[in-house]
This record gives sequence, C-alpha cells and structure tokens, in this order.
Amino acid sequence: MTLIPTEPPGLGSPAAPSPIQRVRRALNSVLRGKEEVIEQVLACLLARGHILLEDKPGLGKTTLAKALAAAVGGRFARVQCTPDLLPGDITGFSIFNQKTREFEFQPGPVFADVLLADEINRTTPRTQSALLEAMAERQVTVDNVRHPLSETFFVLATQNPIEHHGTYPLPEAQLDRFAMKLSIGYPDRPSQRAMLAAAVGVCSCHNDVTDRILALPELHQLQESVAGVTVAPIVQDYLIDLAERTRTHPRISLGLSPRGLLTWQRVAQAWAFLQQRPFVTPDDVKAVARPVLAVRLGIEGEPHVIIDEILSSVAVPLYGG
Amino acid sequence: MARETTVALRLATFLLMAITYLAVEVACDPRGDLSWLSVAFGLTFFLAALLVQRWTPSPATRQRLPGAWTLVMAVLFVGPLILEPVLRELTGQGRPLELQLVNGLRMVGVGLAALASWPLCLRLAGVVSLFLMLFVSAMGDQPAIPWLLGAYAAIGAVWLMLMYSSRIRQASLAVVEHDTTVVLERARLRFPWREIALFAVLAAVAVSLTMLGPLRDRLTQWELMPTSGGSGAVDLFARFGVGDGPEEVAGENARAAGMVESDKLIEDNQNALVDMISDLYGPPHKPPKDQQRLVAGGFAEIIKFHGKLPENLRPSRDFDTSRKGPKSPKKPESRKARALFEVDGRVPVHVRAMVYGSYDAESARWLEAEKPVSRMIESEDNDWMRVGHLKAFADWYSADERHRLKVADLKTNLVPTPALLTRFRIKRVDRPHYYDWDYDGVVVLPGRKRTPPGVIVHTDCRTLDPARLPATAFVCCAPAGATATTWTEVPEPLRPEIDRLAAEWAGHHEHGWPQIQAVLNKLRTTYTLDETATPPSDHPAPVLWFLTDSRRGPDYLFATAATLLFRSLGHASRMCVGYYAAAEAYDPETEHTPVGPSDLHAWPELLLRDGHWLVVEPTPGYEVLRPRLPWSTRIWLALQTVGGWLASHPFLALACAAAAALAVWQRRVLLDALLVQMWRWFPGRSWRQTVFGCLRVLERRCRWHGCARAAEQTLAAWAAALPHASAANADFHALVRLGEWAAYAPNLPAPLPVHEVRSICYRVLRSWTPHHGRQRTPKASLA
Repeated sequence: MTLIPTEPPGLGSPAAPSPIQRVRRALNSVLRGKEEVIEQVLACLLARGHILLEDKPGLGKTTLAKALAAAVGGRFARVQCTPDLLPGDITGFSIFNQKTREFEFQPGPVFADVLLADEINRTTPRTQSALLEAMAERQVTVDNVRHPLSETFFVLATQNPIEHHGTYPLPEAQLDRFAMKLSIGYPDRPSQRAMLAAAVGVCSCHNDVTDRILALPELHQLQESVAGVTVAPIVQDYLIDLAERTRTHPRISLGLSPRGLLTWQRVAQAWAFLQQRPFVTPDDVKAVARPVLAVRLGIEGEPHVIIDEILSSVAVPLYGG
Repeated sequence: MARETTVALRLATFLLMAITYLAVEVACDPRGDLSWLSVAFGLTFFLAALLVQRWTPSPATRQRLPGAWTLVMAVLFVGPLILEPVLRELTGQGRPLELQLVNGLRMVGVGLAALASWPLCLRLAGVVSLFLMLFVSAMGDQPAIPWLLGAYAAIGAVWLMLMYSSRIRQASLAVVEHDTTVVLERARLRFPWREIALFAVLAAVAVSLTMLGPLRDRLTQWELMPTSGGSGAVDLFARFGVGDGPEEVAGENARAAGMVESDKLIEDNQNALVDMISDLYGPPHKPPKDQQRLVAGGFAEIIKFHGKLPENLRPSRDFDTSRKGPKSPKKPESRKARALFEVDGRVPVHVRAMVYGSYDAESARWLEAEKPVSRMIESEDNDWMRVGHLKAFADWYSADERHRLKVADLKTNLVPTPALLTRFRIKRVDRPHYYDWDYDGVVVLPGRKRTPPGVIVHTDCRTLDPARLPATAFVCCAPAGATATTWTEVPEPLRPEIDRLAAEWAGHHEHGWPQIQAVLNKLRTTYTLDETATPPSDHPAPVLWFLTDSRRGPDYLFATAATLLFRSLGHASRMCVGYYAAAEAYDPETEHTPVGPSDLHAWPELLLRDGHWLVVEPTPGYEVLRPRLPWSTRIWLALQTVGGWLASHPFLALACAAAAALAVWQRRVLLDALLVQMWRWFPGRSWRQTVFGCLRVLERRCRWHGCARAAEQTLAAWAAALPHASAANADFHALVRLGEWAAYAPNLPAPLPVHEVRSICYRVLRSWTPHHGRQRTPKASLA
C-alpha cells in the first residue's frame, strides 16, 4: 500500500501526539462519548469562532466549557445570565477613584480568554447585545474608549431549548456572531457506564480540572495555520452555490449572509486541518454545514432536513469544475 | 442567482439550431436535394450533441465556458475547412469557401446548443442560428426554404418568450436577494478591452491583406459574402465569380460569358436565328454585310464590337452579364465546346434526332418516319411554345420536369428537347413559325443549317411511372393480318419468329404495360450490350440473328428487336435515334451533363393514347427519366435494396449481425478497454490530468454497473459507499485521495512522484474491470 503524505505543516508526527491531539484526548476524557461534538468545538476554536450550545440541563455544557478553557490555558470567566444582568456586568464599567480623582475602567468577564455565557437567553436583549461588538470585533467600547480583547477570545454560550418562560430569544444579529450551534445530547450506554465507573471513589469536592495543554501563543499560531489552509476556487464556488441556494429556498426566510459564508469557509478550513489535510474538500464543507447553518438561517421546519436538502441539491465540483 | 437556462429554453435552442442546420443544408445544395450521406451525418452529429447536452453537468452560476470546450468549438469551426480537400479528393465534389465557413459556423452553433447550460453558449447559439438563417434567406431559393424560415420564426418566437421569462424571473429573484449580491454582480462587469483589441488586430490584418496581398486574394476577400468571387483558377468550386477568370465577362465582352441568357448580347458575324427586334421596333439598325443579328438582343442593347471576339462554348456558372467587372479586366480566353449540347436538369434524358417508322426486312434498314402534316406548335403568352397537337391531359402523369438544354456545337438545326415534351422556349424566339417538326417529337429551326451555338432551350416535359399506366393508355393495333399502319407493321419474313418470341416472352401477361415490361426485362437481363458485335453480312435478318443466335449486340439491335416485339404484341411503336444524356456523365463542377457525338443512342418508343410517345429502354445500362419519388417511396426502395442485398449475401449478413450483436452485448467491455488504452496513450500533460482521466474511466465503469457517483456526492463519500473500495483495494483508496489532492489543492505539488501516481492509476484501472465491478458493487449495497 502506498501512503500519501497528508499532514500539513504544524502537526506533529504520529509518534509524538500533537497539541491538538492532546486537547482532544483531554476533552474526551471529560465529556465521554461525544467525539463528534468535541471535534466541532475544536474546529470552532481553531477557526476563531464562537459556539452556542443548545441543550438540556446537565448534559455537560459547562463542564465542556471549563475543560476547554483549562486546556487552552487561558483565563476563564463565567457569566450566569439573568434578566437583571446589565451590559456593564459583562463588558465592565468605569468607576470614580476618589484617590486619583479619575474614572478607572474595571474590566468585565468579557476580557477572559474563554467566556462561558450560561443560559444566555435568560438575559434581556439589551444585555445580549453587549456581546455583539466583543464577538464580532474582539473589542468593547465603554465610555467611548476602545478596549481590545484577547486574541484568542472565545465565547461559549448555552441556552435551554425546553423552557420558554422568562427567556428572550437571541436576535438574528446575535446569532450570526456565533460560528456554530451545537447540541451535546445524551451519552450512549457504554459512555454512561464509564462515567459512572470513573466517579466511584472520587469526591465531588474535587473539580476535575484539566491540566493546561496549549499555551495561548501556541493556540494563536494554530489559528494562523488554519487560516492558511488552501481553499480551491472550485470549492469556493461550491460554497457560493450553497449560499445562493439558502437565499432562494422557499422554506428559509433568512439566507446565509456574507459573514456567515466567511465563517463557513473558516470552519471548513479548521475541519480540514483537524483531518490533517492541507486543503479543503467539499466533504469538509458538508461536515460543518449543519452546525454552521443551523445557528444563522431562518429555517421554517426541521433544520437538519432543510440543510441536507440544500447540500444534496448542489453538484459537488470535481475535475476542475 | 437563479439558473438561467431552463430545460425548455435549452430545448428551444436545440430546435432552433436543428432547423438552421437543415435550412443551411438545403440552401447549400444547388439542387435543393438532401443526400443520404449528409442526412446521416447530420443525424449522427445532432445525436452526439444531444448526448453532450445530456451528460454535461449544468453550471449553477455564471461560470465561464471551460477551455476544453472552447477548443472543441475551434475544432468544429475549422473541421469543414480541413476536411474539404479530403472530400474533394475522394468524391470529386466540393464546396466554395463561403459554404465551408458557413458549415463550420453551423457546427459551432450546434456545439453551442449542446452546451446551452452555460448562458453565454445559449445566447451565442441564438445569434449564430439567426445569422445562418439570414444567410439562408439571402442565398437559398429552394422551395423548402420559406417553410423552414416559417418554422424558425415560430420557434424563435417561443425562444424569445422563454428567454424573456427567464430574465424576468432572474431579475425578480435578484430583487428578493440581498442588495449586496446585486452590487457584487454589477461590480463584476468590466470593459471588454481585450476583446476590442483582438477585434482591432483581426480587422487590421484583414485590411492589410486586402490592400497588400495579391489581386486574386484581394478580390476573394472583398467578395467573400455572399459569394467567394471565384474564377475557378484559385478554387475550382468557387461560385458566382465576378470579373476574374476565363469564364468571366469583362465588361461588355458578352460573348465571353459562355452560355448565358442575358439581355445584353452583341452582334457578330456568326450564324443567328432571325432578325426581329430591329425589323419591328425602333430605328433601323444597319448591320455589316453578311451578318445576321441575334434575335435575343433588343436593338437598344446591341453592342458594337470590332475585332475578333473570343468564344466560350462551355456552360459555366450563371451570372448576369450586365454586372460590372474589375477596372482592368483580364482578357477572356476562348474555350471550345466539349459536347454537342449540355443538359441542365435531371438526367437521364432522351433527345430525339431521327424517328423511324417502317422496317424493311430485305435491306434490314429502318425507313424514316414521315414529317407531320399539320403544324402543331402554339404560342403561349410569353416566349413559351406549347406542343398543340396533344390531346387532353391524361391523369397518369406526375409533375413536369424542367430542363435547360444549351446548344454548344450542333451541326444540325435540331432544337434539342427531351421526350414527353409539352412546351419549350428559346428566349425571345416567340413565334410558332420559327419552329417546325422534322418528325413527330423532333423540333427543328426551319431554314437554318444549324442551331446557333449558345442557344438555350428551356423545356417542360412530363414524367410518368409506366407501371401505373392502364392497358387503355397504349394505342392498340389490329390483330396480325389486318390493315397495318406504319407503327404496327412487322415485316412478313420476320413475323413468324417475332410472333413466336413475343408469345413466348409476354404472351401470358396482360395486355399493356405488363407485356411491355416482360419484353424489356427479357432483353435487359438475358441479352448483352456489345457495341462491337455485328451481324454476319450474309445473314438475311440481323434482328433474328441478335434475338436467337448471338444474344448480344449494339443498342440499335435492342431497339429494333423491342420495337418489332411490341408491334407483334399489338402495341403501336417506333424506333428513335438520338442523344442520351447519361446520369454518369453529370459534371458536378459545371452542374451540367455534356452530351457529345458518342452519346448517340437508339431506343424504342410506344404511342400513348394522348399522342405522346413513351420512351422505353430495352438496352442494359440505359435508363429512362422517372418521376421524382416521394420520401416514403425512396425509403421503401432503400429498404428493399437493403433487403435484397441481405438476401443475396446471407452468410456475410449473418456474420455482420453476429459481430454487431456481440459488440452491442459487450459494448461496455469494449468501450472500457478502449478508454483504458486511450488513457494509457494520452494520460495528460500533468499528473492531475492523469488522475482525472483515470477517475473518469472509473466513474463511467461504475455508472454502467449501477453505482454511479451522484452529483452531490463527494469523491470520498462515493468511495466509502462502494463496499470493496476502501478496505479491499488500497490502491483505489489511494487514488481517491490523489483525486482529492488533484481537484482541491491546485497550488500544491504532487504528493507522490509522478511515475508512482501513474502506477497507482494503472493498477486501479486494471483491477477494477467491469466484470469485477459487477460482482463487487451490487446496487442494493449502495447508499
């Protein structure tokens, strides 16, 4: 058998596990049986996107966020969103220092490297909007002063799809800032058995904090490598065809925006990078289509069905077009 | 963006091009007749185009046409130009330059219609078809052209509506879409600098060649459309030439124009018909002594010419002599006649010269028939003369046939006319008394020693299928022994043997055409034409020697024997000697059939009830002009011919059928082997093309066995769906990854050495035979 070298630069040899591989293992040990979700989270992280986790309580959303923050070694901040939460509680605010007789800016949790916005739909749209600038431009402006955020700023928001009382659905502009919407779902039986077995003998007071695996500069370098993954013109045409199809589909009220299209390409690049391939194939585009499109398209009906229908309605380019 | 080219629009485009193709084919044919070869080629070409349209994936957006297709278009355009010399060499026929270009454009149009999925190709196909139909309407005068133009207009209207609705839908969808998209679409437009520069360069080259090139090329360029301005010197098959060449008229030198019917003729010292125009109209014209004037030239148009004029007694391309030639005309050359007269029209044609009535058995010679007593030529409103003695029109005739017989070098005053003549015309010789009958059916110019060269005789003659003639159509004579007329007379010394043979050959057939046909069949099938066979000088009856002893002889013995046998059967008949314009002698270059002294021929004729004499041919190798057959009859005859051939070659036919059946049965295996070999011989210039070629062969192979890659399926997904692809065949797996690398990593180098890439491809092609594919990839197992 002839082996074709496919590893792009930046990935380690199989003998020495790469940093990505180690992060993957760490997350898999925390969230068992959810390899696909973890792969998508990693893709989103490498694509510098933000994730909206929509699932029922107790499925590991917070655990995953905390483990990820610990693995990348950045600052972790958590905001429990409530109706009385104010924008300043997220972005920070200026207070008057009696000694210096000046206003001093007190940074909010948005200045962390990994921000977990728990139950984001419980806070008001006013507060939700405080994240718009931070997520899109990685900066916040308070009192006409621009404060840049971390280069690896990563938002992991959660929301509960079951409860609707006292919640505020995220506006489209907010949703478009997220790269993906993921659902973790219940683990399978073997995973649950392994989880239970691992919990025996471990005191709940001990947090299963993952060791730091990636330094932030290292993550930043990986993100730059992902941006350099090749996307052939025919694959870009394929992306455009798919995007145009979302805009003309009768059951989609809001098609894919140019920002969404860019996000899709970036996530596909990250997916190809995770597959150890230096170029993007239509398979990569398809692999990330569901989480990328589900968060931003105004779909009437079952999103997965519509997205699959769109994917199957566009011919895959081959042989140079 | 919405798909612009809907199925209906593409279909309408294809129909437009189909009509255009047919119209060009009809207009380019000088006879307006479609040959089987061109029909078969057209059908095959369109079938191929349909397959291309069916199999070419539709681009979802405004993609540019791939470069390979552009190359195909270029090949289609220059194809006719390249093939023309070969066809001329093989068939001896050719087409002028502009028709070759039109053919190339027509093929490009069909190619564009096949690629109508691309909006640019769709629109270009419409433009090309419109241009070609304009050409057809300008150049074609065949009866079918108006019908084709009408059909084109109808389908063109539908095409426009479909295009309009498509644009409206597209515009409405663009409004619904984001404004950003519209802005981006507009921003994509650019000023066509490159196209304008290319056009300017081409125009400059054309002008330079025109100004600096040789004179002939210059003329050719100026007269490219609608004619190629040929003289025959550069291109033998150029048509409608003006002012450059031996056949051309240089200004007023009308006699150099050959056999043309122009209003502008000149006076000279050659024999002419009669003086008329100057005698009747206008001021008196005083011709030189011993000079007659052509009646065809009006006085006002007579051109005086001093000096010896060149003569051109060969037919050529038709054009009007009143057209102006070049400023410095080339001196025309004289060309001698190559025949007695030339026939323009459908052949074979029998032209009577002598008619014989009685047969003298003692001298074994025919006696000339008597001259008709009454004048039987009537004038019509125009120049046409109608044969007036004929009775009412019988219902057994088909459509009349028009001929033009151009006199070149007749030594007699014969007006050459085909048999079954109904009317004729020599332009402006419009008085019945200018003509006379030498025999019944033989027109001459009375008082003239010879018919002037260059005279063109228009004729309308009837055509009929003798098999449809009723028995009453033939004039019967009294039984033997009764009062005999000239046309029913059989010499008594010959009668017993002739009667015996007639009874033996046709006695058991019904009276009328069946009897005649039996005699003709017998003579044509069991007797041999031999011009050198002459009866012994001491033989008392040469015809009996021919019929009973030698069974071979020249055509006059065939005619004599047939005439006497017909008379014995009770049919009024006679023997004629004249000229036979054979179909084999047709000259495609001049589109005429020359008839010379060697075409002298003898044949029998049968008297019909309406006064016409029906030509029949007992001589093998000679045919009679039949009516134009309808398409259904032609197809039926062709099928009969094919059936007859199959019946006469059963083993060969069976072998061919078996081979064809085997080829059809194993067509995929054969085609696959052919494609693999083609891939080996032409693997492509780069490793990517090598991989793509290999994948195409594999995809086709799998499609034949029910496991085709769906359009929305990626290469990896397709390979994963094949149960034996991934694990069982590692090379196939490697090939799939190579394919992805080749398709989606255009800027990255090959992941393996090129020879190894080829080796992988070849191993996969060799191991994935269709036979194995069928076993390995059942339909049910595919997702």
